[in-house]
Amino acid sequence: MNLFRSEEHVDRWLRGRTPGATIPVATLAALAEAWWSTRLSPDWRPRTRSESQAILEGLGLTGAFWRLPGT
Amino acid sequence: MDAADLELRQITYRLFVELGRGPSVVDVARALDVDVESVRQGGRRLHEAHALTLDSAGEIRMANPFSAAPTPHRVEAAGRTWYANCAWDAFGICDALHVDGRIDTTCPDCGESLTLEVRDGRPDDEDLVFHSLVDAAHWWDDIVFT
Repeated sequence: MNLFRSEEHVDRWLRGRTPGATIPVATLAALAEAWWSTRLSPDWRPRTRSESQAILEGLGLTGAFWRLPGT
Repeated sequence: MDAADLELRQITYRLFVELGRGPSVVDVARALDVDVESVRQGGRRLHEAHALTLDSAGEIRMANPFSAAPTPHRVEAAGRTWYANCAWDAFGICDALHVDGRIDTTCPDCGESLTLEVRDGRPDDEDLVFHSLVDAAHWWDDIVFT
């Protein structure tokens, strides 16, 4: 899971491998905030898979690639 | 996940934040005033629950988003530095700490250094893109590779 200068850099780096998913860094930043902002909270408890899936879907990260196991 | 394992997890994260590196199992045992074997056993349960990741020696490898091992993703925030497990986690360190920060990483294609200032959760360079090679269903098959 890496940052790239542009989509062209991703394509060149793949060297023919099957691509995963590419998203704008702004979407990644929003995803990170939703995913990690409670990580150090004293009352932290594990999220359910459904809760995690809802975070992804809330940012438009839908489809088979973004489907967590067991959801 | 019982109260003792939650406390073990909390102490591990607290030490990561305070030390700017991954704590050893001995560090965690001292902080909790328990024996090392208790920490190892609890660590294995947390590893199975994906709440921590241990390495093959039973030491703490990840407390996501923090990495105990050096990675290409370095974060400076609140006057300290940490390694993140990936670019997603690099943002996550700022988010978990609720502070602004700076991410230093490299483009895996060209090797160019990429430095982002993160202010209120937003990067100052929005031209970059993020790529995940592994799909969500398989992120935890090999979390270090992911």
